[in-house]
Amino acid sequence: MRSFQTIAEFKAYRKSLLDAKDKGKPCLVICGGTGGQASGSNDLIRVIKRQILEQNLHDRLSLRITGCLGFCEMDPFIIVEPGYNLYPKLKMADVPRIVAAAVKGEVVEDLLYREPGSTVIRFSEQDIPFFQGQTRIVLGQNQRVDPIRIDDYLRIGGYAALEKALAGPDRGWIVEEILKSKLRGRGGAGFPTGKKWEMARGQRSPSGRKYVICNADEGDPGAYMDRSMLEGNPHLIIEGMIIAALAMEATHGIVYVRTEYPLAIKHATIAIREARRMGLLGKNILGQGFDFDIETFHGAGAFVCGEETALIKSIEGKMGEPRQRPPYPIVKGLFGCPTCINNVETLANVPYILSHGADAYLKIGAENNAGTKIFSLVGKIKNTGLVEVPLGTPIGKVVHEIGGGPSGTAKIKAIQTGGPSGGCIPASMFDLPIDYDSLAKAGSIMGSGGMIVMDQNTCMVDVAKYFMNFLQDESCGKCFTCRKGTQRLHEILEDITLGKGTPEHLVLLEELARTVKDTTMCGLGQTAANPVLSTLKYFREEYERHIVDKRCDAFVCKQLTGAPCQAACPVDTEPWRYVAMIERGDYEEAYRVIRSANPFPAVSARVCDRKCESRCTLGVSGGEAIAIRALKRFVTDRVKPSVYKPTPARKKRMKVAVIGAGPAGITAAHGLSLLGYGVTIFEAEDRPGGMLSCSLPAYRLPRDIVAREIKTLVNKNIKFEFGRVLGRDMTIHDLFVDKYDAVFLAFGAHESMRLDLKHEDVEGIYPSIEFLKAFNMRGEELARGHVGVIGGGNSAVDAARVALRQKDVTGVSLFYRRTREEMPAYEEEVEAALEEGVRIETLISPVKILARQEEIEAALREGVELETLVSPIRIHSRKGRLADIECIRNRLGDVDATGRRRPVPIPGSEFKVKLDTLIVAIGERPKSGFLANMGLEIDKGGRVRVNPKTLATNLRGVFAGGDLVTGPNTVIDAVAAGKKAAESIELYLRKQPLPRPARPKLPEVYIEPPQDPGSEGRTNRRAANPALTPAERIKNFREVEMTMPEKTAREESRRCLRCDLAFTAHKSADGAAPAAKEGEQHD
Amino acid sequence: MINLTINGVPVSVEKGTTVLEAARYLGFPIPTLCHKEGLTPYGACRLCVVEIGREPNSRLVSSCTYPVEEGLVVRTASERVVKARRMVIELLLASCPQSKTIQDIASRHNVRQQRFRQEHEDCILCGLCVRMCEEQMMAGAIGFRGRGRGRSLGTPFDVQSEVCRLCGGCMEVCPACQARCTFNEPEKAICGACANLSPPCVEKEQFHDMMCYLTPCVACEIKK
Repeated sequence: MRSFQTIAEFKAYRKSLLDAKDKGKPCLVICGGTGGQASGSNDLIRVIKRQILEQNLHDRLSLRITGCLGFCEMDPFIIVEPGYNLYPKLKMADVPRIVAAAVKGEVVEDLLYREPGSTVIRFSEQDIPFFQGQTRIVLGQNQRVDPIRIDDYLRIGGYAALEKALAGPDRGWIVEEILKSKLRGRGGAGFPTGKKWEMARGQRSPSGRKYVICNADEGDPGAYMDRSMLEGNPHLIIEGMIIAALAMEATHGIVYVRTEYPLAIKHATIAIREARRMGLLGKNILGQGFDFDIETFHGAGAFVCGEETALIKSIEGKMGEPRQRPPYPIVKGLFGCPTCINNVETLANVPYILSHGADAYLKIGAENNAGTKIFSLVGKIKNTGLVEVPLGTPIGKVVHEIGGGPSGTAKIKAIQTGGPSGGCIPASMFDLPIDYDSLAKAGSIMGSGGMIVMDQNTCMVDVAKYFMNFLQDESCGKCFTCRKGTQRLHEILEDITLGKGTPEHLVLLEELARTVKDTTMCGLGQTAANPVLSTLKYFREEYERHIVDKRCDAFVCKQLTGAPCQAACPVDTEPWRYVAMIERGDYEEAYRVIRSANPFPAVSARVCDRKCESRCTLGVSGGEAIAIRALKRFVTDRVKPSVYKPTPARKKRMKVAVIGAGPAGITAAHGLSLLGYGVTIFEAEDRPGGMLSCSLPAYRLPRDIVAREIKTLVNKNIKFEFGRVLGRDMTIHDLFVDKYDAVFLAFGAHESMRLDLKHEDVEGIYPSIEFLKAFNMRGEELARGHVGVIGGGNSAVDAARVALRQKDVTGVSLFYRRTREEMPAYEEEVEAALEEGVRIETLISPVKILARQEEIEAALREGVELETLVSPIRIHSRKGRLADIECIRNRLGDVDATGRRRPVPIPGSEFKVKLDTLIVAIGERPKSGFLANMGLEIDKGGRVRVNPKTLATNLRGVFAGGDLVTGPNTVIDAVAAGKKAAESIELYLRKQPLPRPARPKLPEVYIEPPQDPGSEGRTNRRAANPALTPAERIKNFREVEMTMPEKTAREESRRCLRCDLAFTAHKSADGAAPAAKEGEQHD
Repeated sequence: MINLTINGVPVSVEKGTTVLEAARYLGFPIPTLCHKEGLTPYGACRLCVVEIGREPNSRLVSSCTYPVEEGLVVRTASERVVKARRMVIELLLASCPQSKTIQDIASRHNVRQQRFRQEHEDCILCGLCVRMCEEQMMAGAIGFRGRGRGRSLGTPFDVQSEVCRLCGGCMEVCPACQARCTFNEPEKAICGACANLSPPCVEKEQFHDMMCYLTPCVACEIKK
């Protein structure tokens, strides 16, 4: 390698490299950074090298092993220049094809990048949304250089800024230029770099030594941009350091890098050596009479050593403890000499500013926050990786556009910036621009640039606890309040997550957090409380949920969750327990377990929305969830309900009126009757069941099942009065006059929402509830010809499938305003409907209703045609009857408050559909206007306002629950409301305080796990109920799903991971109990 | 000379003086645990925090380590300072209730509760002994090890140091282990025995079951 003594020589050499650009030879670029190597890029590199050697491709192909390219989610990937074709997540076997194609200048289409779930091929890096949203002035260079070759760096214009700086007439202009560029420290605090340099320049050192230190002690969990810069482009940092030294007349440079970054150390060391050999470091640099040299210093990995005074102590060989500033390091730093400490990324920005000019730099970014910032985007996000965006970019853009949104199905809840010193910013604030001042105002900090994305499955208390645990170990321990404060904060948070929290804890937590912030010396301590304070600020209700309700809604805190299936169940069923009973073949006990928690086992076994399965540990951890509902079906089909016979208590004098004989009303009545209260149920229709009989179609829930189940719940304490309607036949006051001691309102939500279009009342258009009631209660078939259904929820899918089974119907189309993924109906049902012949049009308009994807599946399987992304805008009628409807197509816009993307109409995309019948299923609301006259509080949606913990309304002795309170909701939630109402009414009648203090629902009964060898792991596939084929079920109302055979059920139950044992295993230890259980099993 | 104001009183002191020294020179009391004349200021206990600057940009700093600056505005007992100080005392009581020094400070600041889980540690890691050993006894036999939760005090490799002369200087300065509080209810964080500064019988509700050891009783004297 040549060494240069003058600027002119160096300039000539640079020019010769710049001119000799390669002659269009294709180049394979592959990441050899730490992340890439961890994903297996070394294997790919070996394959490529071998192929080049074997096939003698040296002249036709080159290979560039670079540092981190940022798109770490797709590692290991290869980019082929000059087309910038990106081949993600490669395997060794794929490589030969890519090499062969690259030589010929072709692409391998099937390996090219596609967005997850999309089929659109992105041919070039520039077309990929992840890269499109970024401005990569610093990080972008990583792709173009091999970090261990200085010539690569020179070839992209490297060291041009240094050359310019050295050649300049007076070094003061460098500081001027940096001041003008308004560059702020990228380490997190954002101190203006120019100002720091100016002060350093003005300092006189008695010993003549002055230091420039590059702070690469990056220790935040989840952040790795400094490492990637140092690994991927060390010369950029070195150039920045030499310029800094030049500006402030420094004599010594130190790169402080932690030992955990071996590759960064290696690359930095090589780069320093090469720069020295070339004459860019050392004595009399390029003949300009300027001496400066750099060495690396390996930190031992203490987080606190990122703090500048602690870093200095660490280099001095002392304990890494911060000290009081002033005096600032600029005045009295390393070994008492003036010392200027800059972050890696700050220095990386310097060459760009000098070569492009401060004015060009100012154009990037926002007011007072010029330039870009690199973030490491990690957590529950699709595109994990390093992103570089101009400051001032909204958080939402980084998360949703560049990051690609949540990695799973759960909604994004918050982001955490700034590592342990930072805070959490909730999703509702994602419009916030990312800059130093806005983040600080929101209670977080920019920090070095970690950005951790959290979704609904992240518990914010647990997050705060995690960071406190980190900090109690990483605090240096000098300040008493930081050392002991972080320990105490962690202790309190731990108590809260263990269910031992009290409301006083919350007060203490906040008070202590503020004290820690106030009374500590260094940056670590002063920001240590941020994770607690910011989560308390934005997620206080989550803390309260842990403390008051003893629940962790993210299912993270084990001592509050217990077995997730049980915790997820609104009626507190113990699925683990009955699944274990099925495994043992004790089906009657399994039935008793189910029935003791849920009065409607057979109904739930068919229509429950299975919250338990969505939380099943097996499903959450990558396997297939246990088919809990199908197992319940197996038990309820097999066991007679008479095995569970609760005995009612002695009759009491007090009586309760229940309005509405739906699942909520009957559950409450049943519960109260067992306690001895006399209950009268007033029902508007002529039979009990509510939505179970009038809305749910018979092919999902056969009528006789409903009737039989209700019969088992009625006893001598319950009286029915049919055809009696509250508001028409009596008032709440009348009921109290009639000597009822409490009233439970549970008459559901039976009023359909309207589209609010002209001609909505012409013949042929029916609200879905009216349509379903007419058929289910009276057998009238209202649909004929081609039927259109508007909506995406379960009642829309139900209506579509019922219509399809009616005689005069030729076809059914479902119109929905968003896409399939956003449809709130059960997926299975939609599939089934489509199979049966229903057509679905999506991205049409209306409102959301509760239901799940499975329903959609079922509907689709039955042949429902689905049209998505369309909204009705006009109804045309002929002679007072529906003729056709006009729709407009939508596209998906920004993410709205519900976490789904908003449909935006596309102008000019209107189209007409000829329809004979139109069913409007865009949601229902309670018919509750008259309740307001009786003094009840009603909200805008017609729902009765209650205390959610007790279901008590604003009137004394009046309780309400079910759809009347929540709007259209699931059967199991209605049953849960009924149970809660019975409990609250009981407490109310016994004049006891409401509600009872909460307790975590933990497994209590020990059931021995299966012992026979080989019983586990026989299958990892989830069992499904057999079903009628679409041909068998069309035009009839036979139940579609059937029950599974005993062998299948036993095997399915054996797959259970038995989360309960973690809580009950200790009970097996006391000798007698397991023996007794053994005996039972053999009986 | 540097001019500054402490609690509204202007004062000019020599360059290099700490805020603590300046405040004490004026007679403002600031409690300290890890400070001792003759030893370098360390700033570990955080009891001596004072508020500097003007609101809303004021902040708390440890007065023992903060050098005076021209025009500095200091408040030694603002509401924010007192609140922080009381929380520090509460934390100290939670860790080290048997120290008479700490009990006295708690009493003087009218701290009447301790809401954390009670611990009984022998050391608050104030570092007085380390500095005493190194700076006054010229030995350097003991020092700190580890960080954060794992920080502790000891000799290298936990064997008796060759330079240790068993002078006892470390114990002499220790606020935690030397002056033991012999209070009569070990399970309670707050000393119920002498409670020497704020007269116990004045606040009956907290001290309903205690005996007064003071002769003559300060509180009774005050009441007269």
